Amino acid sequence: MNIQEFLTIFISAVFIYNVILSRFLGLCSFIAISKETKPALAMSFAVMFVIVMSSIITWFVYRFMLLPFNLTYLRTISFILVIATFVQLVEMVIRKFSPQMYRAFGIYLPLITVNCAVLGVAVLNIDMFFVNGKTVAGSFYYSLFQGICVGLGYTLAMLLMSGIRERLELCNVPKALKDFPLAFIIGGILSLSFMGFSGFKF
Amino acid sequence: MRNNLIVSGSPHIHKKASVSRIMWTVVLSTIPAGIAGVIIFGLDALWVILAATIAAVSTEWAFELITKRKVTILDGSAVITGILLAYNLPSGAPLWLPVVGAIFSIIVGKAVFGGLGQNIFNPALVGRVFLMASWPKYMTTFPKPFSYDAVTSATPLAALKEGKLLEHIPYLDLFLGNRGGCIGEVCILALLIGAAILLFKGYITWHIPVTYILTTALFIYVFGAKQFFHGDWLFHILSGGLILGAFFMATDYVATPLTIKGQVIFGLGCGLITAVIRLWGGYPEGVSYAILMMNAATPFIDRYTRARIYGT
Amino acid sequence: MKTLIKEFTKGIIRENPTFVLVLGLCPTLAVSVTVANGIGMGIAATFVLLGSSVIVSLIKDFIPGRIRIPCYIVIIATFVTIAEMSMKAYSPVLDRALGIYVPLIVVNCIVLGRAEAFACKNSMASSFFDGLGMGLGFTLALILISGIREFLGSGQLLGHTLIRGFEPIFVFGMPSGALLVIGLLLGFFNFLKNRKT
Repeated sequence: MNIQEFLTIFISAVFIYNVILSRFLGLCSFIAISKETKPALAMSFAVMFVIVMSSIITWFVYRFMLLPFNLTYLRTISFILVIATFVQLVEMVIRKFSPQMYRAFGIYLPLITVNCAVLGVAVLNIDMFFVNGKTVAGSFYYSLFQGICVGLGYTLAMLLMSGIRERLELCNVPKALKDFPLAFIIGGILSLSFMGFSGFKF
Repeated sequence: MRNNLIVSGSPHIHKKASVSRIMWTVVLSTIPAGIAGVIIFGLDALWVILAATIAAVSTEWAFELITKRKVTILDGSAVITGILLAYNLPSGAPLWLPVVGAIFSIIVGKAVFGGLGQNIFNPALVGRVFLMASWPKYMTTFPKPFSYDAVTSATPLAALKEGKLLEHIPYLDLFLGNRGGCIGEVCILALLIGAAILLFKGYITWHIPVTYILTTALFIYVFGAKQFFHGDWLFHILSGGLILGAFFMATDYVATPLTIKGQVIFGLGCGLITAVIRLWGGYPEGVSYAILMMNAATPFIDRYTRARIYGT
Repeated sequence: MKTLIKEFTKGIIRENPTFVLVLGLCPTLAVSVTVANGIGMGIAATFVLLGSSVIVSLIKDFIPGRIRIPCYIVIIATFVTIAEMSMKAYSPVLDRALGIYVPLIVVNCIVLGRAEAFACKNSMASSFFDGLGMGLGFTLALILISGIREFLGSGQLLGHTLIRGFEPIFVFGMPSGALLVIGLLLGFFNFLKNRKT
């Protein structure tokens, strides 16, 4: 476990292989919610929280339940069940402690369950930090850190995009490109810009 | 921009500056660098500049005709985009490269946002990073300065990145442009003359360029060598596209913050990203990416550095 | 019979999941680098879509409303696991190319979306044809996007060089190119739609 690995994970997850702009995970929520900054920020925090917690729980499930009993083929089913349950839990807690926030989220809270980023990161952690059925040294910490960084990358992309789209409300965009098409094009330019960090070697 | 006429009583102060006047003055200020580029790299450079400019103007004209908008090619902004794009290309580029790049710059960098005044990103840089990602081979083949034939050489920054910078290049060479590089970036002297014109006329302010260059220099000085505080900051200022970018592209009115505080933040961010990419990234030069990333952050910066409205 | 055909054809153009409903974009953009990958993903997703739509429509009366989404997810996940394991066994090359996007079919908005919007309210036959149509529409969209990207990005289609001496535009094989292509395609289809009205 060395600091270089952590730095590489950070730069990769936030910039070069940004979860939305490069891996395309979480794209649906990105295009739908990035129109305004407040909901975008709220969504980002919620997603980041779910990603981090799911990364932890799924790591343990894989390490102590699936691997030892040779049930790795149940990875997809068990992971998605963990995520769905956890989101349900979060929903119940928010509903109890802040009905206002619960109403503000609306349908988007349960939709975090199907946010590709959450399941995607869980699977990525396994692919990257388990080799041939054995854990890589520091696997848990790398997985946890990757979860945090993916959340940060998601937040960064959301914030940049919502700032830009709010600005574009005042502009004279060609009709056919309004909303979705332009959002994708902007995503494309952002993706190109982030590529500036590729080949990063600390 | 919609034509929102601000109605107020007289007296009105009339300033001579209009959009076209500003744009054409900017064009004028880029001419010294262009002349230097042609002297250093030969007539090839001129063809690249012309190809990019003509393509940019034609594309804007065609787009405005097809979408039935007001034709604005005479305001000089398309010309500037073409010129700046060309200045970011090697003189040996096949002529279809600046043409395709210019078309992309105008369409994806400007037209899709609604035209002048509404682009989020600097259009020339959008074109440049597109070309860089699409045809890296053509974008990194630099002819030797003053050789006027097909001998190539690496740029100082590229040589540094690969660890092949064997001898110390004299600062004067870097300053005058006796080095490999893109058409408009090599002759610092010519660029500074142009920048002086713009500063004198008040069309750009010193905040962004100075903050940008100082931040890069400081970061390089501290982290740029094996020991702390030993970095060759002068080499870095005079190399690559830093001067070109800081004075001519990071100062784009539309794509940069409105307030001074915002502009300083912008300059800081650009400087930081440029230095980080130069020191630890895979690319030898990071100016284009830095500016584009900060362009993306500009709406955000504007929001949080908004001038206080009187009474609130 | 006529309605069944209608359920089938609507998924191809009028309610194309990618270009009209704008669903399931994550895998669409990620795997559309080559046409071969696009077709592979399309087939896998269609299989899952068919299986889950049919099962959901069959047991819709037995699922309590409040836990219906998790139930759908378990059903979908089962089919995805089957698809995953089959792919690993019979075409490991494709499995490696598609990577994490195969298990991600579980959260593909198209599959869950059709279960929630259609299969739980309609007969098995309708659901089958709806799934088939949507799957086909999705696959066609994948072929279109990956065709553009593969041709422009590498000068080839399905691994065969089309025009000799064509300088490939690498950016189209990259994520950035994917976003640009879909942005421009969506804009183009919007333009056509606006012209009609």
